[in-house]
Amino acid sequence: MNAPGIICRFFSKKFFQIDRGGIIRYAESGPDCKKQPNPELTISVMEGSTILTRKGTMKIYTGTGDRGKTSLFSGERVFKSHLRIEAYGDLDELNSIIGALIASLPTQNSHLIKELQQVQSDLFTISALLATTPDSPSMDAIENITPEQIKLLESAVDRMQEELPELRGFILPGGDISASWSHLARTVCRRSERRMVRFLEEMFPTHIPNSYQQALTYVNRLSDYFFALARYCNYITGVSEKLWKI
Amino acid sequence: MESKAAKYTTTILDRCWLSKVTYELILSKPPSFDFSPGQRIHLCYGTTKREYSLVSSPADSKLILCIRLVSDGVLSPELGNIKTNTRLQFTGPHGYFTFKPSSRPAIFVATGTGVAPFCSMVRSGIVGYTLLHGVQTAEELHYADEFRSSAALYVPCLSEANQSSESYFKGRVSDYLLNQIPPDRYDFYLCGRAEMIRDITFLVDDNFPGSFIYTESFY
Repeated sequence: MNAPGIICRFFSKKFFQIDRGGIIRYAESGPDCKKQPNPELTISVMEGSTILTRKGTMKIYTGTGDRGKTSLFSGERVFKSHLRIEAYGDLDELNSIIGALIASLPTQNSHLIKELQQVQSDLFTISALLATTPDSPSMDAIENITPEQIKLLESAVDRMQEELPELRGFILPGGDISASWSHLARTVCRRSERRMVRFLEEMFPTHIPNSYQQALTYVNRLSDYFFALARYCNYITGVSEKLWKI
Repeated sequence: MESKAAKYTTTILDRCWLSKVTYELILSKPPSFDFSPGQRIHLCYGTTKREYSLVSSPADSKLILCIRLVSDGVLSPELGNIKTNTRLQFTGPHGYFTFKPSSRPAIFVATGTGVAPFCSMVRSGIVGYTLLHGVQTAEELHYADEFRSSAALYVPCLSEANQSSESYFKGRVSDYLLNQIPPDRYDFYLCGRAEMIRDITFLVDDNFPGSFIYTESFY
């Protein structure tokens, strides 16, 4: 999607050049200059005409991933099919689902929204950890998940459980839209965890270092949080749970 | 990480023109502001915000930016005319484009004012690197003396030169890298326009496998 630009009106003939990224740039040359812009890439704008420029906007792409590789935070170039990329790609998907979940929550639940935004931030921390190879100097800039962050999730689960009716069996995922998003977050969180485990097994066959173990514990606890939250969302919106009938 | 960035107020102390189109903006350094060589600040002017890498070292008493005047630029024309003693706000430090020591040789690649973060690194004591600096003409080779005295190899690459000489290479940084740098595993630090970063990244993928790449792009 194009970022909004600025409508410019020109009062004399100007020359613009289109760069390889498709951005129109003002060419510092014209009929009076020695160096002419490449005619195939240049448009001229007549007096009084208007064009839409992208002044003040930034490109978010560099094109360095166009050939199937990407750069890790620690500098290595790896194929996007690498298990590491799959692992933090799933966390990215989970983070986006949390965004939808937040959008579906009634605004009076500001404490839940704040809690979920903290989870989104924590997931960025874990993604950065997964995007960095151990022992690289870039690790100095990486934060770790702390036991306190895990405890906060556990406290949140306990808090919701205290209000919820007793669980009498398997429940069908669904109900209110917010509960449905939370169930989806739970399942993608479980998949993220499975992918992380596969990746960490490959990277650390004998012993998983503490920083990664903490991240793994956090993601495990997070899916429990989303299960509790899904039930809680139905509870506060007055939607009854559907039990699986064998 | 980024959460350490904070908002500061600074004062314009001076502006020095390095060439007809490039100037240094010298700012007061807020006492509580600290950064790592290679990081940048987001300078605010009215409602406009622009990112600039710092040229100065963290030990310097002032903050120095190197800015190319772009006629339709977001902020460079305004800053080119700004009066001394004007107060501005900035946030920072931002970014992770810092030097990471390793067993691999470091190759810095910059176009234009993309040398700014490398200058900050060099002023902070980094030596023994290779620097390929791509510019159109020799007038744009800012900080050349500092790089010559600290680099293992400093190669100005002049795209508009008539021919190569003892003091510079005629052509683009990518030409030099492809034809003159022996195959090995390197740490590449790329700073400049996005197009250069993309071209060099592909070139490294194809010709220097196993190398590491750190990038800082500007537009």
